[in-house]
Amino acid sequence: MSTLEKPFKIEDLLQRNIWDVDEEPHIEIPLDDQEGLKKKALALLCPAGCYTLIGDRLIFSYEGCVECGLCRIITPSDKIRWTYPRSGKGVTYRYT
Amino acid sequence: MGDVGRKVPERFDVIVVGAGPAGCAASYMLAKSGFKVLLLERGRGPGSKELYGGRIYAQPLRDVWPDLDKKAPIHRWVTKERFSFTWGSRVVTLEYRVGRSVSFTTYLPEMAKWMADRATEAGALLVDEVVVDDIVVRDGRVVGVRSGTDFLRADVVIDAEGVNRILLEKLGLAERLDPGKVAIGAKEVLRVGEGAINDRLGLSKKEGLAWLVAGDVTEGVPGGGFIYTMKDTISVGIVLHVGRAVEAAEKGFLRTSIHGMVEKLRLHNYFKQIWGDADVVEYGGHLTIEGGLGLVPKKLYMDGFLVVGDAAGLLLNTGYTIRGVDFAVTSGKLAAETVVEAFNVGGPTEENLSVYESKLKSSFVWRELVKHRGISEIMSDPYYFTVLPALLTSLLKKLFEADYEEPTIMDAVFEAASEEDISIAKLLLKLASVVGRV
Repeated sequence: MSTLEKPFKIEDLLQRNIWDVDEEPHIEIPLDDQEGLKKKALALLCPAGCYTLIGDRLIFSYEGCVECGLCRIITPSDKIRWTYPRSGKGVTYRYT
Repeated sequence: MGDVGRKVPERFDVIVVGAGPAGCAASYMLAKSGFKVLLLERGRGPGSKELYGGRIYAQPLRDVWPDLDKKAPIHRWVTKERFSFTWGSRVVTLEYRVGRSVSFTTYLPEMAKWMADRATEAGALLVDEVVVDDIVVRDGRVVGVRSGTDFLRADVVIDAEGVNRILLEKLGLAERLDPGKVAIGAKEVLRVGEGAINDRLGLSKKEGLAWLVAGDVTEGVPGGGFIYTMKDTISVGIVLHVGRAVEAAEKGFLRTSIHGMVEKLRLHNYFKQIWGDADVVEYGGHLTIEGGLGLVPKKLYMDGFLVVGDAAGLLLNTGYTIRGVDFAVTSGKLAAETVVEAFNVGGPTEENLSVYESKLKSSFVWRELVKHRGISEIMSDPYYFTVLPALLTSLLKKLFEADYEEPTIMDAVFEAASEEDISIAKLLLKLASVVGRV
């Protein structure tokens, strides 16, 4: 069976893209206090799978972020700092 | 002075923020009219941060670029429209063979580059890899933009920043996006090969197919799947109504991630024969506007300032067609015309630029948004994305899977409804409300 007949993990999908990841995180979401975060929604709806739920705890990694802005609009604004990556960094689409 | 400041002269007539369809159209028209235009793009090249379904309606673009058909990077002209309902293994598909093709498929980054090239040929200066941090306002007048430590001055700033309206929010002209008014899309691009696409879908050279899918591909969340043929690739994706998807996820009804849904669609028994074992060459996600008029900012103009494209909330999704790029280009064109006229009558004052709003409101873009405004309520109601596909696919099963005796259509409707636990009375009420809204 070819690998293409099984669902890809998100990392394998994202690997197809051109990336120049910013050394500086362009999104900061303090995770010590997770009260008020839409944890399940972030884990399921971030297209890049940047949010992972481990048990009841959310973890976040900005690498692989496709800068869609979803987390920014479903998180209380005082709980997230969201900017675009600097100087053309982040994802570069060709075929979208 | 920082990087941008070194690259460009001191002052421009117009700065356009964002080299997407709206920004490029505005830049092209203004440069052509002799204005000194700076087009700023945050990505590495125009369009490099853009993602859409896959299709553009041509005529409004021809109004800006009459040589579009000959010169633009058009992949295929859409000659087949398909719509499918899926429920479990059952699929119902409707196909329309287009008589006169009015839309084409292309990669948006490639198309944006073409549009930006037209603008630079006309004399605009494109500078990419620049994130604009603020629109600078002095004494109620927009006077330029700030990027890092650079201040770039212009008589007019056109905001074409896209759906994430970070600059408009800072200006106080837009609220943070309401999750109930946007959708999240994710898509894969599959390298299928030109011949295989043509053979498997019955398409001739340069003919294309646009395919929308509703049903359990979104697991009960309002939204759908989409499939578009490019020259030698196929785009496959899922769009979910953000407000409803968040609700479903938080309540635990939604179990599959959005990328998981895209993968399920790629591996769906009914659809996968089209791309076979084609490899994924790109994957991405983007927010999009869900409902007409709901995201138009409080004001589309200020002294020295105009808003165009997605930033202006101009996108229509009727459920069977999605129009964004042509609306964006039209708004960019109208903004450019407004600026040209404003300079002829004394300058880009708030009053002179307010003409943009009247131009927009008398254009097809606005008429379309007003005419179809009832659709957004339907598009956010999970009922239509579960009950209709379930009933329709079940009904056809009753009609087509009889060994001896076929039910009458009415019997089949009632049997299908009772099997799927659907109230006919509620269905009729819902359908009546659809008729009232469309």
